Amino acid sequence: MEDSPEHSWGEPQWTLRLRKGRISKGIRSARETEMGFASRRQRSQRFPQTAMAAMAAMVAMLGMPLVVCLMGSMVTAAAPEAPADRPVSFVDDVVPFLTKAGCNMGACHAKAGSGQNGFQLSLLGFQPEEDFEHLTKEARGRRLSTAAPEQSLLLLKATAEVPHGGGQRMAPGSEGYETILRWIREGAGPGPTDRPALASVVVEPATCTLPAGSTQPLRAIARYADGSQRDVTALALFESNDRARAEVDAAGMVHLGEIPGGVAVMVRFQGNVAVATITIPRGAPLRDLPEPRNFIDTLVFERCREVGVPLSAECDDATFQRRVTLDITGGIPTADAAAEFLTNASPDKRDRLIESLLASSAYADWFANKWTALLKNRRDDASDTVSNFAFHSWIRDGLLANKPYDRFVRELLAATGTIVENPPVAWYKRVKEPKEQLEDVAQLFLGVRIQCAQCHHHPFERWSQDDYHGLAAYFSQVGRRPTSTRGEDLIFHKRGVAAFTNPKSGARITPSALGTPEPTIPADEDPRLRLADWLVRADNPFFARALVNRYWKHFLGRGLIEPEDDLRDTNPPTNPLLLDALADHFRASKFDLKDLVRTICRSRVYQLSAVPTPDNASDLQNFSHFLPRRLPAEVLLDSIDKVTGSTTTFANLPAGTRAIALPDTSYNRSSPFLQVFGRPDGQSVCECERVQSSSLSQSLHLLSAADIKGKLAADAGRADRLSKEERPDPDKVRELFLAAFAREPSADEMVQACGVIAEARLGADGQPLPDQQARRENLEDLLWALLNSKEFLFNH
Amino acid sequence: MPSILSVPRFRDAAPGARILCALGLLLAQLCLAPQPVAAQSVALPLPRLLTLTPAGFQRSVAGSEPTTIEVKVSGENLDGWEEGGQYVPPQLLFSHPGITATALLSAEGKPEKDRYLVRVASEVPSGLHDARMMTALGISSGRVCTASDHPETLRTDPAADVSQAFPLAPGIVCNAKATAQVADHYRLELQTGQRVVIDCAARGIESKLRPVLILADATGADLVAERRGGLLDFTAPAPSTYFVKIHDLSFQGGPEFFYRLLVHDLPVGAPLPARQAAVEPVLSFSWPPVGFPATAPAQESEDPDPAAVQQVTLAADAAVALDVAGRFFPAADVDTYQFTAEAGQIWWIEVASERLGAPTNPAVVVQRSLPGAGLVWEDTAEFSDIAAPIKPSTNHYAYDGPPYESGSADCLGKLEIKETGSYRLQIRDLFGGTRDDPQAIYRLVIRKAAPDFALVCWPLHMELRNGDRAALSKPLALRGGGTVSLEVAAIRRDGFDGPIELAVSGLPEGVTATGLRIPAGATRGQILLTAAESPPRAFAGVAISGKGLINGQSIERPCRLAGHCWPVRDGWSEIPFPRLIPETLVSAGGLEKAPLTLRSTAPEPIEVAEGGSFTVPLELLKRGEVSGAQFQMRVIGAGFEQQPGFELNVAAPAPVTFDLAKLKIPPGDHVLAFITSAVTKYAPAAVTKLAPDAVGEAQPPAAADVAEILVSQPVHVRVTPATKEATP
Repeated sequence: MEDSPEHSWGEPQWTLRLRKGRISKGIRSARETEMGFASRRQRSQRFPQTAMAAMAAMVAMLGMPLVVCLMGSMVTAAAPEAPADRPVSFVDDVVPFLTKAGCNMGACHAKAGSGQNGFQLSLLGFQPEEDFEHLTKEARGRRLSTAAPEQSLLLLKATAEVPHGGGQRMAPGSEGYETILRWIREGAGPGPTDRPALASVVVEPATCTLPAGSTQPLRAIARYADGSQRDVTALALFESNDRARAEVDAAGMVHLGEIPGGVAVMVRFQGNVAVATITIPRGAPLRDLPEPRNFIDTLVFERCREVGVPLSAECDDATFQRRVTLDITGGIPTADAAAEFLTNASPDKRDRLIESLLASSAYADWFANKWTALLKNRRDDASDTVSNFAFHSWIRDGLLANKPYDRFVRELLAATGTIVENPPVAWYKRVKEPKEQLEDVAQLFLGVRIQCAQCHHHPFERWSQDDYHGLAAYFSQVGRRPTSTRGEDLIFHKRGVAAFTNPKSGARITPSALGTPEPTIPADEDPRLRLADWLVRADNPFFARALVNRYWKHFLGRGLIEPEDDLRDTNPPTNPLLLDALADHFRASKFDLKDLVRTICRSRVYQLSAVPTPDNASDLQNFSHFLPRRLPAEVLLDSIDKVTGSTTTFANLPAGTRAIALPDTSYNRSSPFLQVFGRPDGQSVCECERVQSSSLSQSLHLLSAADIKGKLAADAGRADRLSKEERPDPDKVRELFLAAFAREPSADEMVQACGVIAEARLGADGQPLPDQQARRENLEDLLWALLNSKEFLFNH
Repeated sequence: MPSILSVPRFRDAAPGARILCALGLLLAQLCLAPQPVAAQSVALPLPRLLTLTPAGFQRSVAGSEPTTIEVKVSGENLDGWEEGGQYVPPQLLFSHPGITATALLSAEGKPEKDRYLVRVASEVPSGLHDARMMTALGISSGRVCTASDHPETLRTDPAADVSQAFPLAPGIVCNAKATAQVADHYRLELQTGQRVVIDCAARGIESKLRPVLILADATGADLVAERRGGLLDFTAPAPSTYFVKIHDLSFQGGPEFFYRLLVHDLPVGAPLPARQAAVEPVLSFSWPPVGFPATAPAQESEDPDPAAVQQVTLAADAAVALDVAGRFFPAADVDTYQFTAEAGQIWWIEVASERLGAPTNPAVVVQRSLPGAGLVWEDTAEFSDIAAPIKPSTNHYAYDGPPYESGSADCLGKLEIKETGSYRLQIRDLFGGTRDDPQAIYRLVIRKAAPDFALVCWPLHMELRNGDRAALSKPLALRGGGTVSLEVAAIRRDGFDGPIELAVSGLPEGVTATGLRIPAGATRGQILLTAAESPPRAFAGVAISGKGLINGQSIERPCRLAGHCWPVRDGWSEIPFPRLIPETLVSAGGLEKAPLTLRSTAPEPIEVAEGGSFTVPLELLKRGEVSGAQFQMRVIGAGFEQQPGFELNVAAPAPVTFDLAKLKIPPGDHVLAFITSAVTKYAPAAVTKLAPDAVGEAQPPAAADVAEILVSQPVHVRVTPATKEATP
């Protein structure tokens, strides 16, 4: 159930697109922009019709209040300030047109992309002062001609009147063209110096509910420090976070698709962003909602009611047991445990099961497996072994003891000493530089991908370079000294006032936590402890939300925000109230991870069936049904071992060590199975490193790989044992189904399976095989079929 | 631990240890040995005692009969020798005379290989004692064993799962060794509310084990774990069988991964018990200063308020103005001591914490209150690590220094008060930001200057480039004609910067020692131990010391010997760990001779006038095949290190000339030596066919290239004051 990169604005996906050689968003936006310039007048004429059509549809479906809301937003929009009334401002008028035309995008002339043919502009115009210098003074001023403005190279290239690698970016006579031409005619200066600073940008409407298939125009309003505002719709960039649900053109017109749910449109103007969130209701009636078991149910049911997406039924006991065992302990139940649970008549047996799973050491193993990969516990050298084992154990023991999450993060973040004495120091072995440290901490523990802000203002967020370097400053006093182990440093607080030098400006930036200024930290105080203090503050908007969103995805298959580590204003949650409630609950529990798991797993939402109804089959956002997903590599390997009665041997680890208990990622190299099924290598803090998609090689591996064959035919394995046992075949079939699916076989399955076991077999010589051997091979075949079923391969 | 200056005990414990060897025969064997092509190895073979099983025993009650226990040993080159046509098994020796051992005899009356009967007399104190072996090659490296006050058991059967779990009882020490890729299982029966504290001695008794202790429930499911070598403290929630699992942190195992497991039964709320005895790390050699009280007279207030200040008085006439014990507890603890001081006062500040065994990195800042500026403090001084007297090796690819850390994360420095006023001293642990450990103790001393020094030494190690650490464990078993160098490091305290003269006493017959002084202000010196060509077989406990002139008085301080616990052959994946050795044993007269001897043939001392020059004629005695025609030599000895290196012609060594005017050597007695590394063809001498494991052995051992340090015998030089005529 991997999300398509198309559903996100995240930087990694964008980068991926460029690497794959596909057209970049920037170029596409720019092309659409040009169309938008030409048709602006038409758009304004068309708007009333489309809006009225949308309103009519809404009235029919939702009633009057929303329409009133929308109309209110339409009439309150401020009149745009006409640039013709004043000299052209380079910053306010020229740069936005260059941005809209895509000139300063990564693949074109953005400095971040090296700038084609030496013409470099700041990405998205975030440094207009530098752009002015580049444009007017570089290349001996040949880009502009004040003597013959129309012959300026800038315009000739943009209009493709001379060959231009980027093609035509502006039509002659378009508003952008005319604005730039007038600027050159006016002397190509910076323009008025008394222009008020841009304070924010808002989008209208900011929220609305619209029927599938409708359209909705958006307006972008820039608000300035002096209170004035300007309609910048023609200059702003628009982008949908889910193109399957909504496309938005360069003029801000949203075209909704047919899939119900929520979609957000980002509006970007001169480093400011705003978001319009649109709900596309399914409109199906919700009847007989079950009684909520906790706040999760209340808020999910409410959201489903809002969007008209009905719930699937509650899953049966077998499905629940298998699901919750997989999710909490990374393994499937044993056949005995499955049989016992199915016959247990206790009304609270699901809650009791959750408790027993949380109390098991397998819970610690499974979540340690998750965290060790995210914390990059990889083995690059044999000398890493001890430190990797120590770090893994520290994580695992903390989970076993239910160490509060805030303490876990604090001990990691502010680790000092040697790895053997204090294992979280191992994190500093993998993440050596302050910029890596801040980026990993921000993404992993705050859900903030701040990498972009190292070089330029974050294109989708409010983070500036100062925010980036302010966060780096917390790590500026991390002292290192080599230890006796190759490649390992001991970590200590290096006395001094924390500050990080902005490599571009040379300014010393003191610590500040994503917009929260930090009072001066004395030289003797480890600034990382202040950062840890800030993380757990009640008003921290990131820390608790990032974790609950990550765990929500672990259990429900999809984050309330996707990707789970990309929390930002322009990537709103699908259920904001639920995200906030989960975060509040987590904070109130003193960051109790087991309590969070317990709360999620006890909810009716978690216990819904994966079988959709006709009205919720397309719903991926509202958790109206369980989202099935393939078993992760380690879990699948362990499950195959468990069902076949075999074991996998890992170098230098005790026999019987499960794949979910592997201390580091080095075992991937020796296990084709773990590689094929996408066990992460600990290279990044992104959960996306784990490959959860399906592939042909996975199918082939399960069908015919030698290790799978070996497990099926293992001496003393399940097939071998069952073939020797004097039990009725139905008993054996029952055991196989309980072991693989945690359920009893159906009557049809029983008949078929018994038939398979009893089949006669011929040997290679064409002669019938002895009965016991034939039965063993038949059992192997039956096991093989079960392992290759979707019911086995998926957590459902 | 016995005093390092105590009378050598091994000699007492090993009657008849002086034995002459049939060296001529052996030399012939060396020369005639076949020389197949083999990879070059590092360092000549030396005897090393690696394991004792069990690693400890219960001492007998005072006045009762000695305890006897059967002990099995293992190691390298632990062969016996031939004496008077009879095979003499290697002798197992202990650092306390109350512990004696005799070889176990088989039914036929022959000594059983590696098996001994050990007797422990009642006067043996509890704690660690060193065991050694006297072997064909001389005295072996040591291995500690514990004399405990508890009954002891030895687990030898597998205990790989709960079904094989070995029963444990509080108060009984279980000796065992970890098995690779296995967790050892032990069974404990506990009642509700019963508290047990489990102590696993491993690194502290020189085991390679990094113990992981896990307490599991009756099903074997883990409940709590301790992985940093600490105590596991558990109170049973219900009456049940519990399991203790023990394995190495990275699941290594084998005979070298031995441990001693002790379960304490304690009331809830009782303080944690003392740990089992542990060896001393090398860096602890510099603490405490001689004559310093064992415990501090004062204790920090431990005010939970982080802003709390402790007012102290630094009496101007006090030798020790402040001596306080404290803790870096809770996490991020800062202890502040405030005092007034007069301009011109000079205080010395010393902190011990890491040297007390705590995993800390203390740092001290002294600040002055700026007058009239409210609570504004200005830095006066800051103190952190005690610099290593000799920069240790990084232990990375290249071995580029001694593999011993003799500095410390503790603090030692001078505080000069330049302005009268109010001062505060803040002490914190740079490793303590997140650690809540009440065991993180420190001791802070503010005193008037008490100039002094502390010394530690270790056998000189070869500079290597390939990570091979085979030479790390070096017993002082001298081969005939050989010279071994000890590298000496000095921590100078409170401004003492005079020269330190090094000396060794109590040497066995046929061994001489020469100290290469530590010059004024320097922190490094060397001691050369030289064996005669054919010394009698003997060993002795020796005392190494240094003398310095402090306040007009000659002060002698002991020099501790450090050694590595294990010969480590792959420094990348196994980090060597050294310790202080309680007694320094030197042997000579073993089975083999040194392959090379380099010495001066000039009459000694060589007398030369200040500013003059002299020549040292050299002789190289070769007792086997040498690889290469030249050796790259350098000179050691205070003042002579500036002499340029030179090539020594192996076939015909040329004399070396020294220009004292260039070297600026002052009048007086001096010692120098020449040093290099040399590759020689080595084949071990056959021990004797009487050895239990040598019966039927027909093929002589193969010869192989071995790289080893070659140190010349010392050259004594007497520089006389220049006459007026000689110094225009």
